Amino acid sequence: MRLKSTVFVVIATVLSLCLSSLVMAVEPPRNETLIVDILTGKVGNPGNFNFWATWVGNDKGLQQLVIDPLWMADYVTGEIINVLASENPIYNEDFTQMTVNLREGVYWNDGVEFTADDVVYTVTLSMETPGFGYHTQFNQNIAQVNKTGPYTVVFDLKEPNSRFHYQFLDRWGACRILPKHIFETAEDPLSFQFNPPVGTGPYTLVEYDLGGYWFLYELREDWDRTATGMLYGKPAPNYVKFIHYGDASKKAMAQISHELDMADLTPESLQVVLSRNEYARGFYEDFPWAELLHPAVTGAAFNTLVEPFDNPEVRWALNLALDAKNLALTAYDGAVAFSPAYIPALLPYYEYYYEELQPYLEDYTIEIDGEQYKPYNANLPFEMAEEARQRGYSVPETEKEIREMFGYGWWSHSPELAEKLLLKNGFTRGRDGKWFLPDGTPWKIEIVSLTTSTNPSFKWAFAIANQWAQFGIDCEAVPTEQVESLTENGDYQVVGGQPAAEPFGAGIDLYRGINVFKSAYFKPLGEKLVGHQSRWFHEEIDVFIEKMENNDYNDPENIELGMEVIKRLIDGQPGVSLASFPGFMGLDTYYWTNYPSGENPYGVPWYHWPNFKFMLPFLEPTGRE
Amino acid sequence: MFKKFFIPRLIQYFTVLFIGITLVFVIPRLLPSDPVATQLQRMTAQGQYLDPAAVEELRESLEELYGLKGGMLQQYLSYWKRLFSGDLGPSFTQFPTPVISLIKMSLPWTVGLLLASLSISWIIGTILGGVKVSFPNSLVARAMELVAMGMRPIPYYIMALVLLILLSFIFPIFPMAGGYSVGSKVGLNMRFIKDLLRHAFLPILSMVVLEIGGWFLQMRNVASNLVEEDYVVYAEASGLPKSKIVFRYIMRNAIIPQITGLGLNIGFIFGGALITEIVFSYPGMGTLLYSAILAGDYNLIMGINIFSIVGVSTAMLIIDLLYPLLDPRVRYQ
Repeated sequence: MRLKSTVFVVIATVLSLCLSSLVMAVEPPRNETLIVDILTGKVGNPGNFNFWATWVGNDKGLQQLVIDPLWMADYVTGEIINVLASENPIYNEDFTQMTVNLREGVYWNDGVEFTADDVVYTVTLSMETPGFGYHTQFNQNIAQVNKTGPYTVVFDLKEPNSRFHYQFLDRWGACRILPKHIFETAEDPLSFQFNPPVGTGPYTLVEYDLGGYWFLYELREDWDRTATGMLYGKPAPNYVKFIHYGDASKKAMAQISHELDMADLTPESLQVVLSRNEYARGFYEDFPWAELLHPAVTGAAFNTLVEPFDNPEVRWALNLALDAKNLALTAYDGAVAFSPAYIPALLPYYEYYYEELQPYLEDYTIEIDGEQYKPYNANLPFEMAEEARQRGYSVPETEKEIREMFGYGWWSHSPELAEKLLLKNGFTRGRDGKWFLPDGTPWKIEIVSLTTSTNPSFKWAFAIANQWAQFGIDCEAVPTEQVESLTENGDYQVVGGQPAAEPFGAGIDLYRGINVFKSAYFKPLGEKLVGHQSRWFHEEIDVFIEKMENNDYNDPENIELGMEVIKRLIDGQPGVSLASFPGFMGLDTYYWTNYPSGENPYGVPWYHWPNFKFMLPFLEPTGRE
Repeated sequence: MFKKFFIPRLIQYFTVLFIGITLVFVIPRLLPSDPVATQLQRMTAQGQYLDPAAVEELRESLEELYGLKGGMLQQYLSYWKRLFSGDLGPSFTQFPTPVISLIKMSLPWTVGLLLASLSISWIIGTILGGVKVSFPNSLVARAMELVAMGMRPIPYYIMALVLLILLSFIFPIFPMAGGYSVGSKVGLNMRFIKDLLRHAFLPILSMVVLEIGGWFLQMRNVASNLVEEDYVVYAEASGLPKSKIVFRYIMRNAIIPQITGLGLNIGFIFGGALITEIVFSYPGMGTLLYSAILAGDYNLIMGINIFSIVGVSTAMLIIDLLYPLLDPRVRYQ
């Protein structure tokens, strides 16, 4: 009898738990809510919204919906958007003073007006508070900061700096503006939690999960008093939920169940979603589905201080031993936009750089033993398109569209040239085709990479290792959690990842991506890294970068200077500059449509970027219940 | 009794604590991960523009703030000093949030999850193990044994995933992620408690289903040796009721190793249940520790492990001290 009662109680509890799902959650209406993934996963410190302190992760909706910068880069349109600033920064002639005029009529979500006081306070508080993200940079650069009017701020700089405003130009990170009236009440600004966050963005925080798995935001009633509202109109979703479901397979399950509108997926999980959810789509409706034009160039970097990678001809040989088409097919099923010039394949850079570089690349010549070779394959994008067609995918026909999809080309697969270069440099080859170093020992290469199997660092490391092994080098990819420490100390040979730093992707200036190669930042092995992880430098680059620094950031001469730097990088090949970062995004159109897409690229398509708030006014509800 | 029994155990307890806590200080520092390098990388990965000119100074400033300046001995001494004042230091990855705050945030989830699954599986497994030995031919006992033996070898990850797919995706009865629903107001009210239970149901079930087998088999093995002991045979020959023999003669003796196991498992709670947390996207100590190790967050690794060391040692001490109450033979010795 007692056993029966126990069994009954257990069953009743389970049933009650199941049924309670019907009545329990007081979630906002689904068709008014946009649900997006927290790309960087569970938030470690969910209740802390003070992301001016260096350590607080910002991927929880805060930068995307609540907080604004002065300017924002849009890598799709190439524009630099004036957000809380009303116009571009104004520098004096010798770049020792920068004036910022602010947008009028913007209000914090607690009703207080945004003014120059907030900007001045953000900067002075950062300078006074060790541990704030921009504490060091501001103290190095700023002599004083003052307001000269309610909407005007003037920065006096310690030394000429034509790009000082880059500290405030948001590209998934910048010094954003904090509310003075809130922070000045904090006893310790570093440990201040800033909860609830007060911002100038169009949404306010409603609730968050104490475990760090979700954050819910609601549209402000006075959205028209925000920069987003003024620039683009009313955001469509009344609510936005950021949620972390788990790995790609769980995100796929959620998206198939229409519980996740935008998600970062793997190529495989995206295919699962597309096959199971008739409303789902990728960034492109059809092949290649992924967003291919992203402002980060990926591939690998050589440690140019370690033998034999200190020899540019060896680096060239290793590049020429690669079959780019095969790499692309292996790693991403062909969905890549090639970027051979150490800057990402990106629409704005096509216009400013790749168009002009193309003839240079086509004529690029390598001389070996008096013979000249042209290693560039400008036809590669068309070969990729043909390959995709043969696989039954629909691919655009025009040259422009194909280049927008696959980039401008890459180095021809030339194992015979690679062999000549290596033989010229004292390498030898055994009867079995295996390569030996000039000192006669077998050539072994280890490519370290991140452990996340979806990251290009991992994907390229394995694909490249495979091809170098086929070429006769004993090569293996080694994913490790210690990549940062290894590269920081120069304790590696080749690392899968980024062969150059990330530029803004907007405007004409490449300074952000290339100044890491300045020789002033060079450190020998064993000393902590400051510049790029390849530790490569070239004296001529210093000259070009210095000229850039003396120019206004918008000076058209910067294009020429950038081009010269690119040419030196191509000569030196400090890495394998393969392709822009491919992003496999799943978009569910069951509740919302008109996301930025390959067919309609009106802005940055990612929800972890600060530009997300600018996408929301363009979304259209389907009205489905 | 006090001198002979309690004092050596207390000395042993404090020695274990000292050695454990010292090791916890040393081991993370032997890892190749560098918290400052990780932090700099994280800052750039999150898009912050780091002018190379500022990197060196920033690195210095971070080392200063993290308390990583100075030799190992100096750091070790200040570590003990802080520990005695109840301060586990700040987390590097969530600076300046104190480690203790992060642990406080995660610990209740883990304790709730693991304590519930451990007690349920322990009680059911122990009772069923005892019943199986006492009534070896009953249909229920045989069926239970079959299920326990069949479930036990299934890898936990597979079992958890199957439950998740079955009960969250194919039949969307339970939630797929999180500790409670969006819209639930956190508080001590029935609505929130029901929501909590609903979210915890699958993670707990996944652990209970597999853990029962372990407890069941352990109990069965110990008890099956006891049924042949003279005192059990004598009790049966004396005509004592079966239930009395089972509960007072067999299970009472067989339960002692079970209690030791339970104590140890309670101590291990502080390490969290990493796979459960990942599969069910459930908050807790497992993911906290995992991310701390990846980021080389020494203070957080040390903080969590100190909890774990204190937990296991204290649980063992309590069990040791309770033994005389449970087992008259120990009392007699």
